[in-house]
Amino acid sequence: MSVLASEWLKVRTVRSSYLMLGLSLVGILLGVAVAWAAVGMYDSATPAQQAHAAIADLEEVVLMVPQLCMGVLGVLTITSEYTTGLIRTSLAIVPRRWPVLAGKSAIVGLLGLVTGPMVVFGTYVAARWMLGDRFGGSYTTPFLDRLPTLITSSLTVAVFALLGLGLGATLRSTAGAITILVGLVYVIPIIVGNLPEPWSERLGSLMIGALPREITGDDLTHSVYGSLLSPVAAAMVLIAYAVLPLLVGAWLMRRKDA
Amino acid sequence: MRTILSSEWLKLRSVTSTYQALGVAALTVVLGMIWTFYVSGLADERGALRAAAPEQGFLPLIQISLAVLGVLAITAEQASGMIRTSLTVVPNRGTLLLAKAGVVAAVTFVAANSIIVLTYVTSRLIAGERHLQFNESSLANDLPMLLASGLSVTVLALVGLGLGVATRSTAAAIVSVVSLLFVLPGIANYLPAPWNTRVAALMLPNLVPQIADQRLSRRLGDGFLPPWAALVVLAAYAIVALAAGFYLFRRRDA
Amino acid sequence: MVRCGERPPYLILYRVIELNRLTKRYGDTLAVDDLSFKIEPGHVTGFLGPNGAGKSTTMRLILGLDSATSGQALVNGRRYTSLSRPMREVGALLDASAVHGGRRAYDHLLCLARTNDIGPTRVAEVLEQVGLAGVARKRVGGFSLGMKQRLGIAAALLGDPGTLMFDEPVNGLDPDGVRWIRDLMRSMAKEGRTILLSSHLMSEMALTAERIIILGRGKLIMEATVAELTERYPSLEDAYLALTASSVEYGAAR
Repeated sequence: MSVLASEWLKVRTVRSSYLMLGLSLVGILLGVAVAWAAVGMYDSATPAQQAHAAIADLEEVVLMVPQLCMGVLGVLTITSEYTTGLIRTSLAIVPRRWPVLAGKSAIVGLLGLVTGPMVVFGTYVAARWMLGDRFGGSYTTPFLDRLPTLITSSLTVAVFALLGLGLGATLRSTAGAITILVGLVYVIPIIVGNLPEPWSERLGSLMIGALPREITGDDLTHSVYGSLLSPVAAAMVLIAYAVLPLLVGAWLMRRKDA
Repeated sequence: MRTILSSEWLKLRSVTSTYQALGVAALTVVLGMIWTFYVSGLADERGALRAAAPEQGFLPLIQISLAVLGVLAITAEQASGMIRTSLTVVPNRGTLLLAKAGVVAAVTFVAANSIIVLTYVTSRLIAGERHLQFNESSLANDLPMLLASGLSVTVLALVGLGLGVATRSTAAAIVSVVSLLFVLPGIANYLPAPWNTRVAALMLPNLVPQIADQRLSRRLGDGFLPPWAALVVLAAYAIVALAAGFYLFRRRDA
Repeated sequence: MVRCGERPPYLILYRVIELNRLTKRYGDTLAVDDLSFKIEPGHVTGFLGPNGAGKSTTMRLILGLDSATSGQALVNGRRYTSLSRPMREVGALLDASAVHGGRRAYDHLLCLARTNDIGPTRVAEVLEQVGLAGVARKRVGGFSLGMKQRLGIAAALLGDPGTLMFDEPVNGLDPDGVRWIRDLMRSMAKEGRTILLSSHLMSEMALTAERIIILGRGKLIMEATVAELTERYPSLEDAYLALTASSVEYGAAR
């Protein structure tokens, strides 16, 4: 418990944490800006154009902002300690190494659990209110029908935070961990999207972006990735993204000198 | 200036992170070969197919890893405090930054173009006479795209350097580069038409096809920038980032 | 190297650090407050003061790393930032741990040397001089604090400068190293160099320095020879404690 309190204090007392949390919330503003632009364009279009107009789910579009920010926060939580040498102090105070990592996981996971829903639900509510029944009623689906996917989408933010932490613990380098994180989130999906079928859909189904919809089985035809996994399998994959790097990191922390 | 350039060159050469970044970028060659073997196999079954050119498909990998190289060229010094020693031996901050920019630009330009050309050549050799679409246009046809791709990597590395100077933080600089390269273009994609194309045309990764006078993507269609204008916008990214970095670098205490 | 009598104006400007009403303000706090003094060649000048007195800031201002709010610091009659080969005039060790851990000691020094057109033979020479020749090819990250201090001293010596500034150089050195650096400073001072040495170790200072400058809260408290101080007080330490009693900012309750 004291490890938890100490890790919380560490996160709370550095500026970069606030920067990343603040930037995450900028995601809502981006969503609002896109919605505002969309409303303007829709209203000035002819009825014929309006009939064909479509808009993506904005909370899903802006989701990558909190995902990236909380992922970086997760990375920095551990790599900044390696950079400054503070990790040696941390491990001297708490000599058994896994509680340090577990404490950090709890804190960044919790921050992800708070930030994710704030951005996802914030954007959803704003977009729904602004767009009304425009764009063929994309945003008139009853809230309860959308709720499961909104929840699973917001959970991915916590997954990113833990993934970042795991990568940071594994690589011990800010630049390395962030680069790999970015690779997993942006570069690999682009490459997978370029693959010929059936591999594009097979691998696409494993991308983090595909998982929220696969878990809830909601609106699978709109997925830009793939939708081959069953809800249970998709949930397992999502958990694996968070847990596997952490386990590798914990194992390396035990084996290597600080 | 010559002496400072040679010092910056040695700085880059004497840390492992440089080789790691170059190594990740060079993975493109291997991935391109695997890719071509794979689609060639498919083509042998099906006769013909439309496959993306590997040097285009894997370009983001080269872009991000060499942009990180640009970021680390300055933030590694700032994080360790080495920057103060560097400024003690080269008190003129403009000269120091210019030398860093020169070395980062040269190294990334040579590396990116070598990787791209190598990927291009190996994939065409492997593909042979098969109908994969990407191997069916002439080199003269592909050349503008290859050059624009290489140039975009250098620009990204310089943007990384400029943002690194400005933010003094590895994490913040990489996040900013990633925003320019992936996040903002991704969001621009989802704007309603025609604004998606208008905004996306100004986004860094989309300048590459416009310089080569090709369409942005199936979804976005043609951009509105003529090649020369796209080239100017691309250069502007690097210049603005470096100028902002230099402005702060000169004003702030080291 | 030493220019002699026939050109008197140079003699005055050569190897002198001169502060002229130097002031540095950070927000509301005056880190350096209207500081004027002159440090001359031929002996070691000790730079004393409690934590936060402004010693390191003064050194950074002399080196042009921080810009002064008002007043100026001149090295050999010129502003440091206007020197074209600064390593040949001033050598400085500010923070020994401010090095890239991934770089080998030899490469680190060569990076610095190249900027001032100093060759690799000189790098090998200073490595030998500070006793790091055996670990020249090792990465700096694995060095102990004492080894890093030696590396920092090597960097300061690279240009064979007439003026040297050291901020806490004996931190982390073993008794052998402490003795070595004391002898080094005294012999360099005897060669006619100007040496500014900041340290908290009074006994060490009493053995090394001839003149003492004491700062407190950014202001000059006292400028005197060690002999003068030990005449008036039982020891240098007593002199220091008496003179700085009113300006200790971070003191434990007594």
